[in-house]
Amino acid sequence: MHELSLVRTLLAQVGEIVAANGGTALRCVRVQVGPLAGVEPALMASAWQQLSADGGCGDATLEIEEVPLVARCRGCDMTFQPLRFRFRCPECGAAETETISGDGVILQCIVLADIEQGAST
Amino acid sequence: MTRVITVRRDVAAQAKEQAEDFRREMTRRGTLVVNLLSSPGAGKTSLLAATAVHWSDKQQMAVLVGDIATDRDAQRLAPLAPTVQLTTGGACHLDLPLVQRGLEALPTGDLDFLFIENVGNLVCPSSHDLGEHVRVVLLSTTEGDDKPAKYPKAFRTSRAMVISKIDLLPYVPFSIKSASDDALSIQPKLEILPLSALQATGIDRWCHYLVGLRERLPQLCPTR
Repeated sequence: MHELSLVRTLLAQVGEIVAANGGTALRCVRVQVGPLAGVEPALMASAWQQLSADGGCGDATLEIEEVPLVARCRGCDMTFQPLRFRFRCPECGAAETETISGDGVILQCIVLADIEQGAST
Repeated sequence: MTRVITVRRDVAAQAKEQAEDFRREMTRRGTLVVNLLSSPGAGKTSLLAATAVHWSDKQQMAVLVGDIATDRDAQRLAPLAPTVQLTTGGACHLDLPLVQRGLEALPTGDLDFLFIENVGNLVCPSSHDLGEHVRVVLLSTTEGDDKPAKYPKAFRTSRAMVISKIDLLPYVPFSIKSASDDALSIQPKLEILPLSALQATGIDRWCHYLVGLRERLPQLCPTR
Protein backbone atom coordinates (compact mmCIF):
# COMPACT_ATOMS: atom_id res chain seq x y z
CA MET A 1 0.00 0.00 0.00
CA HIS A 2 2.94 2.36 0.53
CA GLU A 3 4.81 1.25 -2.59
CA LEU A 4 4.16 4.61 -4.29
CA SER A 5 5.94 6.56 -1.54
CA LEU A 6 8.74 3.98 -1.53
CA VAL A 7 9.26 4.39 -5.28
CA ARG A 8 9.27 8.20 -4.94
CA THR A 9 12.08 7.87 -2.37
CA LEU A 10 13.92 5.43 -4.65
CA LEU A 11 13.60 7.77 -7.65
CA ALA A 12 15.05 10.68 -5.67
CA GLN A 13 18.03 8.57 -4.57
CA VAL A 14 18.61 7.24 -8.08
CA GLY A 15 18.45 10.79 -9.46
CA GLU A 16 21.20 11.90 -7.09
CA ILE A 17 23.43 8.97 -8.06
CA VAL A 18 22.88 9.56 -11.77
CA ALA A 19 23.74 13.26 -11.35
CA ALA A 20 26.88 12.41 -9.36
CA ASN A 21 27.99 10.08 -12.13
CA GLY A 22 27.77 12.42 -15.06
CA GLY A 23 24.04 12.39 -15.67
CA THR A 24 24.13 9.87 -18.51
CA ALA A 25 20.97 7.99 -19.47
CA LEU A 26 19.68 5.53 -16.90
CA ARG A 27 18.99 2.06 -18.25
CA CYS A 28 18.11 -0.01 -15.22
CA VAL A 29 17.71 0.04 -11.43
CA ARG A 30 18.21 -3.19 -9.48
CA VAL A 31 16.76 -3.66 -6.00
CA GLN A 32 16.50 -6.54 -3.55
CA VAL A 33 13.29 -7.09 -1.61
CA GLY A 34 12.87 -9.53 1.27
CA PRO A 35 9.82 -11.26 2.74
CA LEU A 36 9.67 -8.82 5.69
CA ALA A 37 10.25 -5.69 3.63
CA GLY A 38 6.55 -4.91 3.80
CA VAL A 39 6.57 -4.51 0.02
CA GLU A 40 4.65 -6.38 -2.65
CA PRO A 41 6.99 -6.64 -5.66
CA ALA A 42 4.15 -6.50 -8.21
CA LEU A 43 2.81 -3.30 -6.64
CA MET A 44 6.31 -1.84 -6.54
CA ALA A 45 6.75 -2.62 -10.24
CA SER A 46 3.42 -0.98 -10.96
CA ALA A 47 4.38 2.10 -8.95
CA TRP A 48 7.64 2.31 -10.92
CA GLN A 49 5.65 2.20 -14.19
CA GLN A 50 3.50 5.08 -12.97
CA LEU A 51 6.23 7.31 -11.60
CA SER A 52 9.56 6.67 -13.28
CA ALA A 53 9.10 8.80 -16.40
CA ASP A 54 7.94 11.86 -14.44
CA GLY A 55 10.63 11.15 -11.83
CA GLY A 56 13.36 11.81 -14.38
CA CYS A 57 14.18 8.16 -15.03
CA GLY A 58 12.84 7.99 -18.58
CA ASP A 59 12.11 4.46 -19.71
CA ALA A 60 14.60 2.81 -17.32
CA THR A 61 13.52 -0.58 -16.05
CA LEU A 62 13.25 -1.69 -12.43
CA GLU A 63 14.56 -5.19 -11.69
CA ILE A 64 13.34 -6.62 -8.40
CA GLU A 65 15.21 -9.57 -6.92
CA GLU A 66 13.37 -11.36 -4.13
CA VAL A 67 15.83 -12.50 -1.45
CA PRO A 68 15.29 -14.77 1.56
CA LEU A 69 14.90 -13.73 5.17
CA VAL A 70 18.07 -14.32 7.22
CA ALA A 71 18.44 -14.05 10.99
CA ARG A 72 21.35 -14.46 13.40
CA CYS A 73 21.24 -15.95 16.88
CA ARG A 74 22.81 -13.72 19.51
CA GLY A 75 23.39 -16.79 21.66
CA CYS A 76 25.32 -19.17 19.39
CA ASP A 77 25.93 -16.78 16.46
CA MET A 78 24.33 -19.18 13.97
CA THR A 79 22.71 -17.62 10.90
CA PHE A 80 19.49 -19.23 9.65
CA GLN A 81 16.47 -18.69 7.41
CA PRO A 82 13.35 -18.50 9.61
CA LEU A 83 10.74 -20.82 8.11
CA ARG A 84 7.19 -19.44 8.30
CA PHE A 85 8.65 -16.47 10.22
CA ARG A 86 9.65 -18.65 13.19
CA PHE A 87 12.56 -16.77 14.68
CA ARG A 88 13.64 -18.87 17.66
CA CYS A 89 17.15 -20.19 16.99
CA PRO A 90 16.83 -23.70 15.49
CA GLU A 91 20.27 -24.64 16.87
CA CYS A 92 20.23 -23.56 20.52
CA GLY A 93 16.60 -22.44 21.00
CA ALA A 94 17.55 -18.89 22.05
CA ALA A 95 14.95 -16.12 21.80
CA GLU A 96 17.56 -13.44 21.16
CA THR A 97 17.71 -13.38 17.39
CA GLU A 98 18.22 -10.51 14.99
CA THR A 99 17.04 -10.13 11.42
CA ILE A 100 20.12 -9.43 9.32
CA SER A 101 18.57 -9.34 5.86
CA GLY A 102 15.26 -9.71 4.08
CA ASP A 103 13.40 -7.00 6.00
CA GLY A 104 14.09 -4.06 3.72
CA VAL A 105 14.48 -2.78 0.20
CA ILE A 106 18.11 -2.55 -0.86
CA LEU A 107 19.20 -0.46 -3.83
CA GLN A 108 21.84 -2.77 -5.24
CA CYS A 109 23.01 -0.90 -8.31
CA ILE A 110 22.04 1.24 -11.24
CA VAL A 111 23.04 0.75 -14.85
CA LEU A 112 23.89 3.82 -16.94
CA ALA A 113 24.35 4.17 -20.65
CA ASP A 114 27.96 5.18 -21.17
CA ILE A 115 29.63 6.22 -24.38
CA GLU A 116 33.15 6.42 -22.97
CA GLN A 117 35.70 3.92 -24.26
CA GLY A 118 36.91 1.32 -21.80
CA ALA A 119 33.94 1.55 -19.46
CA SER A 120 33.05 -1.75 -17.82
CA THR A 121 29.68 -3.39 -18.37
CA MET B 1 28.27 0.43 -23.58
CA THR B 2 26.81 0.45 -20.14
CA ARG B 3 28.29 1.22 -16.74
CA VAL B 4 27.17 -0.38 -13.48
CA ILE B 5 27.25 1.81 -10.37
CA THR B 6 27.16 -0.38 -7.27
CA VAL B 7 25.20 1.15 -4.39
CA ARG B 8 24.10 -1.60 -1.90
CA ARG B 9 22.17 0.74 0.38
CA ASP B 10 18.88 0.40 2.22
CA VAL B 11 16.40 2.72 0.50
CA ALA B 12 15.14 3.66 3.97
CA ALA B 13 18.63 4.38 5.33
CA GLN B 14 18.20 8.17 5.47
CA ALA B 15 14.77 7.89 7.11
CA LYS B 16 16.23 5.47 9.67
CA GLU B 17 19.05 7.90 10.50
CA GLN B 18 16.54 10.70 11.01
CA ALA B 19 14.45 8.44 13.24
CA GLU B 20 17.57 7.60 15.24
CA ASP B 21 18.33 11.32 15.73
CA PHE B 22 14.75 11.92 16.94
CA ARG B 23 14.95 8.94 19.33
CA ARG B 24 18.23 10.23 20.76
CA GLU B 25 16.70 13.67 21.32
CA MET B 26 13.66 12.20 23.07
CA THR B 27 15.96 10.07 25.25
CA ARG B 28 17.82 13.23 26.22
CA ARG B 29 14.51 14.83 27.19
CA GLY B 30 13.56 11.76 29.28
CA THR B 31 10.47 11.03 27.19
CA LEU B 32 9.59 7.43 26.33
CA VAL B 33 8.05 7.35 22.83
CA VAL B 34 5.54 4.54 22.23
CA ASN B 35 4.26 3.74 18.72
CA LEU B 36 0.89 1.93 18.88
CA LEU B 37 -0.01 -0.27 15.90
CA SER B 38 -3.21 -2.20 15.26
CA SER B 39 -6.06 -2.83 12.87
CA PRO B 40 -8.81 -0.20 12.87
CA GLY B 41 -11.05 -0.61 15.90
CA ALA B 42 -8.71 -2.73 18.03
CA GLY B 43 -8.92 -0.23 20.88
CA LYS B 44 -5.88 2.03 20.67
CA THR B 45 -7.77 5.16 21.66
CA SER B 46 -9.63 3.38 24.46
CA LEU B 47 -6.32 2.03 25.79
CA LEU B 48 -4.82 5.53 25.82
CA ALA B 49 -7.89 6.95 27.54
CA ALA B 50 -7.69 4.25 30.22
CA THR B 51 -3.95 4.90 30.59
CA ALA B 52 -4.49 8.64 31.11
CA VAL B 53 -7.22 7.96 33.67
CA HIS B 54 -5.00 5.45 35.52
CA TRP B 55 -2.06 7.81 35.73
CA SER B 56 -4.03 10.99 36.30
CA ASP B 57 -1.25 13.47 37.10
CA LYS B 58 1.30 10.86 38.29
CA GLN B 59 2.91 10.66 34.82
CA GLN B 60 2.96 13.38 32.19
CA MET B 61 1.73 11.93 28.91
CA ALA B 62 0.72 13.33 25.54
CA VAL B 63 -0.73 11.75 22.43
CA LEU B 64 -0.23 12.21 18.70
CA VAL B 65 -3.12 10.46 17.05
CA GLY B 66 -3.03 9.51 13.37
CA ASP B 67 -6.02 8.96 11.16
CA ILE B 68 -6.76 9.21 7.46
CA ALA B 69 -9.60 11.65 8.20
CA THR B 70 -11.49 13.34 11.10
CA ASP B 71 -10.29 14.46 14.51
CA ARG B 72 -12.68 12.21 16.45
CA ASP B 73 -9.94 10.37 18.36
CA ALA B 74 -8.32 13.65 19.38
CA GLN B 75 -11.67 14.91 20.63
CA ARG B 76 -12.03 11.78 22.77
CA LEU B 77 -8.56 12.09 24.29
CA ALA B 78 -8.19 15.85 24.63
CA PRO B 79 -10.06 16.08 27.98
CA LEU B 80 -7.64 13.47 29.42
CA ALA B 81 -4.21 14.40 28.01
CA PRO B 82 -2.60 16.91 25.63
CA THR B 83 -3.44 15.56 22.18
CA VAL B 84 -2.70 16.55 18.60
CA GLN B 85 -4.53 14.96 15.68
CA LEU B 86 -2.35 14.02 12.71
CA THR B 87 -4.45 13.62 9.59
CA THR B 88 -2.70 11.84 6.75
CA GLY B 89 -5.17 12.74 4.02
CA GLY B 90 -5.26 9.22 2.63
CA ALA B 91 -1.78 7.94 3.45
CA CYS B 92 -1.79 4.54 5.10
CA HIS B 93 0.81 5.30 7.77
CA LEU B 94 2.41 8.12 9.74
CA ASP B 95 5.89 9.34 8.93
CA LEU B 96 8.51 11.08 11.04
CA PRO B 97 8.04 14.65 9.67
CA LEU B 98 4.33 14.45 10.56
CA VAL B 99 5.21 13.25 14.06
CA GLN B 100 7.75 16.06 14.50
CA ARG B 101 5.19 18.68 13.44
CA GLY B 102 2.70 17.17 15.87
CA LEU B 103 5.21 17.31 18.71
CA GLU B 104 5.84 21.00 18.01
CA ALA B 105 2.10 21.64 18.21
CA LEU B 106 1.84 20.10 21.68
CA PRO B 107 2.00 22.40 24.70
CA THR B 108 5.60 22.74 25.84
CA GLY B 109 6.63 21.06 29.06
CA ASP B 110 8.37 17.94 30.28
CA LEU B 111 6.78 14.74 29.06
CA ASP B 112 7.32 11.32 30.59
CA PHE B 113 5.50 9.52 27.78
CA LEU B 114 4.67 10.41 24.19
CA PHE B 115 2.20 8.01 22.59
CA ILE B 116 1.88 7.87 18.81
CA GLU B 117 -1.41 6.26 17.85
CA ASN B 118 -0.69 5.12 14.30
CA VAL B 119 -3.22 4.82 11.49
CA GLY B 120 -5.27 1.64 11.93
CA ASN B 121 -3.41 -0.78 9.65
CA LEU B 122 -1.22 -3.80 10.44
CA VAL B 123 0.78 -3.60 7.20
CA CYS B 124 2.30 -0.24 6.25
CA PRO B 125 2.99 1.29 9.70
CA SER B 126 5.22 -1.67 10.55
CA SER B 127 7.72 -0.55 7.86
CA HIS B 128 8.15 3.00 9.21
CA ASP B 129 10.41 3.88 12.13
CA LEU B 130 8.89 6.97 13.77
CA GLY B 131 11.74 7.41 16.20
CA GLU B 132 9.91 5.46 18.86
CA HIS B 133 11.67 3.65 21.70
CA VAL B 134 8.98 1.00 21.88
CA ARG B 135 6.57 -0.38 19.32
CA VAL B 136 3.44 -2.00 20.73
CA VAL B 137 0.97 -3.99 18.63
CA LEU B 138 -2.63 -4.35 19.78
CA LEU B 139 -4.67 -7.41 18.87
CA SER B 140 -8.32 -7.40 19.93
CA THR B 141 -10.20 -10.56 20.77
CA THR B 142 -12.81 -9.73 18.12
CA GLU B 143 -10.25 -9.83 15.30
CA GLY B 144 -9.35 -13.49 15.69
CA ASP B 145 -6.27 -15.16 17.11
CA ASP B 146 -4.76 -15.90 13.67
CA LYS B 147 -3.49 -12.39 13.00
CA PRO B 148 0.13 -12.69 14.20
CA ALA B 149 0.89 -15.31 11.55
CA LYS B 150 -0.88 -13.26 8.88
CA TYR B 151 0.89 -9.97 9.63
CA PRO B 152 4.32 -11.10 10.86
CA LYS B 153 6.19 -7.81 10.45
CA ALA B 154 3.94 -5.91 12.86
CA PHE B 155 4.60 -8.55 15.53
CA ARG B 156 8.29 -9.13 14.71
CA THR B 157 9.13 -5.44 15.10
CA SER B 158 7.13 -4.94 18.32
CA ARG B 159 8.37 -5.21 21.88
CA ALA B 160 4.94 -5.90 23.35
CA MET B 161 1.59 -7.27 22.24
CA VAL B 162 -1.52 -6.00 23.97
CA ILE B 163 -4.48 -8.38 23.71
CA SER B 164 -7.39 -5.99 24.04
CA LYS B 165 -11.11 -6.47 24.77
CA ILE B 166 -10.60 -9.54 26.97
CA ASP B 167 -13.99 -8.80 28.55
CA LEU B 168 -15.44 -10.20 25.29
CA LEU B 169 -13.62 -13.55 25.58
CA PRO B 170 -16.78 -15.46 26.66
CA TYR B 171 -18.49 -14.41 23.43
CA VAL B 172 -15.82 -14.75 20.74
CA PRO B 173 -13.75 -17.70 19.45
CA PHE B 174 -10.36 -16.31 20.50
CA SER B 175 -7.60 -18.27 22.21
CA ILE B 176 -5.06 -16.17 24.09
CA LYS B 177 -2.72 -19.18 24.06
CA SER B 178 -2.98 -19.66 20.31
CA ALA B 179 -2.42 -15.95 19.56
CA SER B 180 0.47 -15.82 22.04
CA ASP B 181 2.15 -18.99 20.70
CA ASP B 182 2.03 -17.64 17.14
CA ALA B 183 3.26 -14.18 18.15
CA LEU B 184 6.08 -15.64 20.27
CA SER B 185 7.30 -17.84 17.41
CA ILE B 186 7.69 -14.63 15.36
CA GLN B 187 9.11 -12.49 18.19
CA PRO B 188 10.22 -14.74 21.07
CA LYS B 189 10.92 -11.76 23.36
CA LEU B 190 7.46 -10.22 23.02
CA GLU B 191 5.83 -9.08 26.27
CA ILE B 192 2.18 -10.14 26.23
CA LEU B 193 -0.33 -7.95 28.04
CA PRO B 194 -4.00 -9.03 28.00
CA LEU B 195 -6.37 -6.26 29.12
CA SER B 196 -9.76 -4.65 28.87
CA ALA B 197 -9.70 -0.85 28.62
CA LEU B 198 -13.47 -0.75 29.13
CA GLN B 199 -13.32 -2.54 32.47
CA ALA B 200 -9.83 -1.29 33.38
CA THR B 201 -8.62 -4.91 33.70
CA GLY B 202 -4.87 -5.24 33.15
CA ILE B 203 -4.32 -1.48 32.86
CA ASP B 204 -2.30 -1.51 36.06
CA ARG B 205 0.16 -4.05 34.61
CA TRP B 206 0.34 -2.17 31.27
CA CYS B 207 1.17 1.10 33.01
CA HIS B 208 3.69 -0.60 35.30
CA TYR B 209 5.35 -2.14 32.23
CA LEU B 210 5.70 1.28 30.58
CA VAL B 211 7.13 2.89 33.69
CA GLY B 212 9.68 0.05 33.88
CA LEU B 213 10.68 0.65 30.25
CA ARG B 214 11.13 4.36 30.88
CA GLU B 215 13.53 3.60 33.71
CA ARG B 216 15.89 2.01 31.17
CA LEU B 217 15.29 4.54 28.42
CA PRO B 218 18.92 4.92 27.25
CA GLN B 219 19.19 1.19 26.56
CA LEU B 220 16.06 0.96 24.40
CA CYS B 221 16.38 0.61 20.63
CA PRO B 222 14.09 -0.69 17.87
CA THR B 223 13.32 -4.39 17.67
CA ARG B 224 14.41 -5.98 14.41
